[in-house]
Amino acid sequence: MKRILGIFALTLIFASTSFAADMGLARTNTGCGLGTMLFEGGSANNSSLLQAFQATTNGTSGAQTFGISSGTSECTQPEKFVQNERLNEFVYANLDTLAKDIAQGRGESVRTLAELMQVAPEKREAFYRNLQTHFAEIFPRENVEYAQVVDTIVTLSS
Amino acid sequence: MLRKLAYPLLFLLLFPSLHGAAETTPYRDELKESATKLRLPDDRYWHVLLHYKRGLFGTESLVDDPKFFLSPDGRNDPSAELDAAIDGLFADGEKEQAIPRCRFPARYDWLVRRLSVDLTRLPEVSCPILEEQRNRIDAKSASLIFASGHMNSPASMFGHTFLRFDSSYESPLLSYAVNYAARIDRKDNGLVYAAKGIFGLYPGYFSILPYYEKVKEYGNMDQRDLWEYRLNFTEEEVQRMVLHVLELQGIYSDYFFFKENCSYDLLFVLEIGAPAAKLTDRFRLFTIPIDTVKAVRAEGLISEPVFRSSQARKIRHIASSLGDADIARARSVLDNAVAPEKILAADIPDTEKGKILDLASETVQLRYAKGQYTKEEYRKRFLTVLSARSTIPASESVLRPVPAPEPPESGHESSRVALAVGIREEDSFLEVSGRPAYHDLLDADAGFTPGSQIEFSRAAVRYYPDTGRIRLQEWDLVHILSLAGRNDFFRPVSWKFRTGFATKPFPGGSDALVFFLNPGGGMAWDIRPLGLVYVLLETEVDVAGRYNPDYTAGVGLSAGILRQMTRSWKTLLAARQMAGVLGDENRGREFSAILRQGISISRRRAIFLDIGRTVSPGLHYNEGKFSVNFYF
Repeated sequence: MKRILGIFALTLIFASTSFAADMGLARTNTGCGLGTMLFEGGSANNSSLLQAFQATTNGTSGAQTFGISSGTSECTQPEKFVQNERLNEFVYANLDTLAKDIAQGRGESVRTLAELMQVAPEKREAFYRNLQTHFAEIFPRENVEYAQVVDTIVTLSS
Repeated sequence: MLRKLAYPLLFLLLFPSLHGAAETTPYRDELKESATKLRLPDDRYWHVLLHYKRGLFGTESLVDDPKFFLSPDGRNDPSAELDAAIDGLFADGEKEQAIPRCRFPARYDWLVRRLSVDLTRLPEVSCPILEEQRNRIDAKSASLIFASGHMNSPASMFGHTFLRFDSSYESPLLSYAVNYAARIDRKDNGLVYAAKGIFGLYPGYFSILPYYEKVKEYGNMDQRDLWEYRLNFTEEEVQRMVLHVLELQGIYSDYFFFKENCSYDLLFVLEIGAPAAKLTDRFRLFTIPIDTVKAVRAEGLISEPVFRSSQARKIRHIASSLGDADIARARSVLDNAVAPEKILAADIPDTEKGKILDLASETVQLRYAKGQYTKEEYRKRFLTVLSARSTIPASESVLRPVPAPEPPESGHESSRVALAVGIREEDSFLEVSGRPAYHDLLDADAGFTPGSQIEFSRAAVRYYPDTGRIRLQEWDLVHILSLAGRNDFFRPVSWKFRTGFATKPFPGGSDALVFFLNPGGGMAWDIRPLGLVYVLLETEVDVAGRYNPDYTAGVGLSAGILRQMTRSWKTLLAARQMAGVLGDENRGREFSAILRQGISISRRRAIFLDIGRTVSPGLHYNEGKFSVNFYF
């Protein structure tokens, strides 16, 4: 019995010092729809001494360097507003937050959207309300892609 | 108005050369002469630009990438590098990246100003890529951003800092963030990772990304709060910082976990904007991110921060504004027991319906980020909740903003020394202890993560006047404790890790220095009005010649209650029972109980009172200790 307990104890020690080996660095952002830009396999859940070192190096794994213009190139591009690169990038990268803010009719991401679409300050409340009432049109399906979202929003507000 | 501000750089780029090559040599010599006269190689700004520091072996740049230097000796020789930089003024070419003036714009911006360079006597060059990047960044002002620790990960408790160049957009999300981080190898395991991190074997690079990416990374993914401190720099100073960041593009410096880390290298960029503030000189052995914020504040460069809550805090906030019945409704939506549309039909005000659905959608997102749903599952749940939510008008669901906790820079200082008097059985003692970093469970929580402890290298030396004994009482190499309360929406694991040396008493009045390794894991609950109650399963291995054989391994349980009595008074009541299972089993058996009081007097002072009892075979003793703590 003692021996079994002993092995158990040693296993615990090893477990607690090594379960950070598979650190959550598998952060992927593929796809063009909802749920794509939330990183998968987060690093915040595992915890151990070794993660202490991970967290303070704030490690990146190469891809994230000078993202002055971030790529939406792997996705279908919007038809109507192609020239507004910043708008496209923003919607692409913030689709989930936008969905939430549009559904609530307020929030920082819809304010940013209004600014990017140059909606006059006095028309913004109406703009948010309009988006909220048409939520089901903007996000008609689970696999809706960002380009379509941009197109619908532009159509709705023109 | 601001757009009209002309920088010397622009002239440098736009003015055509009116003179032939034959004339450049004398002008070059003239410039070198005036550089020597002005003692530019010793100029502090030149040293900031090139990240020069005086070390054991003379002056050396902390940048390790040879690409950063124009002279082959540039890394160790500021004067040779300056010479090469002057030569570089006369270089032109086809490829923008190969033209020094385009590649190192901050360097040349300064050099041209200091030497009053006549740009018409230089070859004509243009840097379209550089200009495009600057226009895109469009920096008008800058903010220092502090990412606080994660609530259940003292690992990240040291925090993180990065910089944001605020653009002419109203929305800060559209500004660009500048981050310095180690580029790690995904294949490395934890131990290799730690070793490489400590000994500078990973290269550190600057990156620049839209701020919304950082908000997603820290606020949504890692559940860390962000504090945004506006820097009171002029636009011109900010533009210089932009130029410096751009010249550091693709340049590496060896990343050292303790000192030359994310926050330290950022200080060089800040010094470019405010050279009078000698920020990098303040950190010699280690750089703790929050300490850099304090340093920047001490230099008068920032004022009150803006708080950006993490998603987890937001969820707690919404939950705290709802009654039990509504929380249960939100839970039933999350458990798929009730369709979101059913919430709309419930006989409650619209405001509450809105909050219930908001609580659900935020939690769905958080769970997805934690990998609890597949993408398909997430999309389905997320959209059905949001569809229901979109039918409630915005005006019907005004939520108070998430209240900001105490800002991190208001917390106690990280280093601590303590003077203590105490008594063990009949022997009185004096004790001196100290730690370079960072936070003890009993230290005041303001600015720190409640229920967390992370101490590095805390050492205590004890003197018993009656017997004349002096002992290294404890030397905790690392002592981490993370107690995170579980509730309806969060189920974190609590854990501890402690290793180091301690003097342990043995039967017969003798003692011995013991090496110990003590991890543990368990759970904690915030039980009102008791406090934070925790239970941990622990194991411990002790090694010393006094054991027979040379070690003892034990397993056991510990439990305790941590309670915030008043704003500045904390109490911890804890007990622990270990049983020896391997090695010197008899000595592995130990019971201990302790009652600790911590009273914080100011950011720099606190008093602790500890009373405890320890019982092991053939040995038992009571101990009391009163200590005065100084933080600095």
